[in-house]
Amino acid sequence: MRNIDDSEDLVLAEAAAPTKTIDVRGLFCPEPVFRTKIEIDRLGIGNLLKVVADDPEAEEDISRWVKRNGHELVNFAKEGKDLVFVIKKVK
Amino acid sequence: MATKTLSAKLLERIGNTPLIELKSYSDKVKIFAKLEWCNPFGSVKDRAAYWMVKDAEKKGVLKKGKSIIIEPTSGNTGIALTGIAKLMGYEVEIVIPEKVSKETKVILANLGAKLYETSDDLCPRVGVGTDQSISLASAMARGRPEIYYMPNQYENEANFMAHYESTGPEIWEQTNGKVTHFITGAGTGGTITGVSAFLKEKNRNIRTIAVQPQKQHLIQGLRNYEESDMPPLFKRRQQTVDEWYTITNEESFKAAKELFEKEKLLVGPSSGCVMAAAQKVKSKLNEGVVVVIFADDGRKFRSLYTSQGVFTDSEFDKALREARTLTELPFDVISK
Repeated sequence: MRNIDDSEDLVLAEAAAPTKTIDVRGLFCPEPVFRTKIEIDRLGIGNLLKVVADDPEAEEDISRWVKRNGHELVNFAKEGKDLVFVIKKVK
Repeated sequence: MATKTLSAKLLERIGNTPLIELKSYSDKVKIFAKLEWCNPFGSVKDRAAYWMVKDAEKKGVLKKGKSIIIEPTSGNTGIALTGIAKLMGYEVEIVIPEKVSKETKVILANLGAKLYETSDDLCPRVGVGTDQSISLASAMARGRPEIYYMPNQYENEANFMAHYESTGPEIWEQTNGKVTHFITGAGTGGTITGVSAFLKEKNRNIRTIAVQPQKQHLIQGLRNYEESDMPPLFKRRQQTVDEWYTITNEESFKAAKELFEKEKLLVGPSSGCVMAAAQKVKSKLNEGVVVVIFADDGRKFRSLYTSQGVFTDSEFDKALREARTLTELPFDVISK
């Protein structure tokens, strides 16, 4: 995982705001992964999806799903109890 | 494809299915088949679905116009639950493995179910197929308990009661108490434990035989308990089973084909599986009255039967034309 204050990431964050944000707080795994999959399927290639979750299992489940399906986890951060993912649709 | 309008009268047709003698298989040992496809939504699962929804209403967990019934399933339970719950005033969401046949998905959608399809790689912490669907449906119900109700046929006591209160008594009455052997396939365990518990209360000498398909089977609705866990509903009353038979895919398909050739019955693969076991049981008997359950008919299985070489397309068309006892369904089955 790259550091959040890495200059490349700052440039990226400024350059590319997420195309869509979904709030899956209050949902239990695997539903956050399932909602992520549906939104990723709808996005165009190269677009970014931001996912906000709060089930601790989502950290591993979403990260693994993204990797297995050939997409890119551009950023991951913990904000209090929230887990914030930024995913780039690669294919 | 047009959606057919459902009539509430369909609910009155659940149960009281015919019991017919399979004359070409009977001699001193008579074999009777309970034709569960005569239920309004086409399978034995109408009973479990109806009992589970009625039970939830009695317990006050459903609110008309607000509650959503959600269930993981890959076949007949989804069709039965969707049709029945809609008639009773509830929305239905079904979670199914994406590899389920297109025929089944189309039927569910036309009946008005919202479908969620799970892939085998959705959650790394659970197994494949229906396990992914069970996991997602459970998670969805857990996240919004005020909206969702998941009957869960694998644990729900009403699935047992459906057969204890309806199928069992029907078999007892239809055979005038003469049934000696009861044979059915094992999935959730609801049918076998419910019927067996009732029959053994009437006559403790009645033998109950459970049939499971081989490992890696192609028999929708049944489970092999060496590769799948025995559901809690079944485990509670395992002692109601006296004997087990394991049947191969090939034996099941051969028996299904033979049932058409000899009896003009177009059965689903699970009925073939049960019939293959019934013939093995019969070969060891000198006399008796054997009752088997035929859970559904073969109309949904054209693609399976033709791909497995059970019927060619033209043979299947002939079977559709000539099969007896097929009742009209409140939905269309795409058979190509």
